[in-house]
Amino acid sequence: MKKASVLSLIGGVILWELVARFIVKSTLIIVPPSHVVRAFVDLVRQGELQTHVYVSGLEFVVGFGLAAVVGVLLGLAIGVSDLVRDVLEPWLSALYATPVVAFAPLFVVWMGIGPSSKVAVAFLLAVLPIIINTSAGIRTTDQNLVDVARSFSATRGQVFFKILIPYALAFIIAGLRLGVGRAIIGVVVAEFFGTRAGLGYLILTSSQLFDTSALFVAVVILAGVGVLSVVALQKLERWLAPWREFAIRT
Amino acid sequence: MATLEVEGLCKSYRTPNGQDMPVLKDVSFTAADGEFVAIVGPSGCGKTTFLRVLDGLAGADGGSIALDGRPIAGPGPDRGFVFQSDSLLPWRTVADNIGFGLELQRRDRATARRMVSDLVRLVGLEGFERYYPHQLSGGMRQRVNLARALAIDPGVLLMDEPFAALDAQTRELMQAELLRIWAEAHKTVVFITHQIDEAVYLADRVVVFSARPSVVKATITVDIPRPRPLSAKRQPAMLSRVDEIWRLIEEEVRR
Ligand SMILES: Nc1ncnc2c1ncn2[C@@H]1O[C@H](COP(=O)(O)OP(=O)(O)OP(=O)(O)O)[C@@H](O)[C@H]1O
Ligand SMILES: [Mg+2]
Repeated sequence: MKKASVLSLIGGVILWELVARFIVKSTLIIVPPSHVVRAFVDLVRQGELQTHVYVSGLEFVVGFGLAAVVGVLLGLAIGVSDLVRDVLEPWLSALYATPVVAFAPLFVVWMGIGPSSKVAVAFLLAVLPIIINTSAGIRTTDQNLVDVARSFSATRGQVFFKILIPYALAFIIAGLRLGVGRAIIGVVVAEFFGTRAGLGYLILTSSQLFDTSALFVAVVILAGVGVLSVVALQKLERWLAPWREFAIRT
Repeated sequence: MATLEVEGLCKSYRTPNGQDMPVLKDVSFTAADGEFVAIVGPSGCGKTTFLRVLDGLAGADGGSIALDGRPIAGPGPDRGFVFQSDSLLPWRTVADNIGFGLELQRRDRATARRMVSDLVRLVGLEGFERYYPHQLSGGMRQRVNLARALAIDPGVLLMDEPFAALDAQTRELMQAELLRIWAEAHKTVVFITHQIDEAVYLADRVVVFSARPSVVKATITVDIPRPRPLSAKRQPAMLSRVDEIWRLIEEEVRR
């Protein structure tokens, strides 16, 4: 992370502590970071937090992982085939426009309070931006570059792997980044509607007990997961597409 | 050997409102082996279209194209295309851009690497092999563009205004460079340009296209001896050719 980003984070935490201590003063509304740290230590000691993180983490990884694989594959298919696009596009637009989280309680009813309903909601939320970005990347590929390959008698497969995929890579990663945030939301919201463990469960129960510190522990962990995933995707992009980093700088 | 013969080529495009717009009406044209032919004509007359048809990127509606007597349909390794716009692959280094055609042809890597390093030397880009396109100047990019087309060792080079985006100085240098490379590589060249002095300086013959729908309006032979130093551009013989072609194009634009 950049120096300015780190300083900004530290500054934010200090500001938060000051506001919570001296301005708001009600631990129902906001608790200072020091309380959050204490709550964190307590929850770890009881062994409770580990379970919540493990359950939610697994749901996130499986849901997002499936969304990444299915989303990229479907996006590529929509990108290269007009038929696939025409068949799927109305459904995708409809799904993208509706708040899919609203279906979360239904999924819990259908699939039970186990992890599979959370995986399903996370998947459904995350897969849409991944599909849309991937297909947009393929569709907007510079036609001149395709012509370059064709002029060298490239096969369709060569055009796909050597022109379309490298061109679309930045779009695909941007889609995955959007997908991360939505998968986290999917897991948490689905847990609100019925589960035995998970960070969403921790948020729900602690808010019912007016235990704001524990609630913040869960929120901070979720935010951390989001930031780490985005950083990991940036690393991946830099590794797969080193030329873009240069391109942005100049 | 690479003799290009085009007979009665015609092509039209479909306009957005569903009509056919003829672009090439009846283009006949030959380029002898090792000859440098330049094509000039009013903007939008169909020069790029003509070159794309020669390369096989676009189909023709009628007429024939033959290379050494064999008809051509579709792109092939016997022709190399140097594109009008800067069309380097931004995710590939200079060396990997130059080797792109060889890679598509599945040449073995050792051979390809040797050929690429020869080409890097030929176009004067030693030391820049690992640069990415955005780290190059416009002139260097066009050198890579040219080397990439040369890599598959085509008999014919098709060049679509390769120097249009360069400043005047770089452009002159690149013209001289192109003549040096052409003399060394012995290719048949079809070179499109808007600049008449460029056409006259480079070419053995200059073909003038009419306004759309295009036919060949005139062919002017440039009988100025080679090698031609850049100063040859100021020779009276050269200037009178330029004037002659200007008049022909002016007629077309006014029409
Ligand atoms: N893919 C296409 N579909 C429809 N019309 C086209 C297409 N490509 C070119 N045209 C039309 O054909 C005509 C000739 O275009 P072309 O690009 O060949 O001209 P040009 O001589 O190369 O022009 P310039 O000198 O400006 O580069 C233009 O009127 C253009 O609108
Ligand atoms: Mg053109």
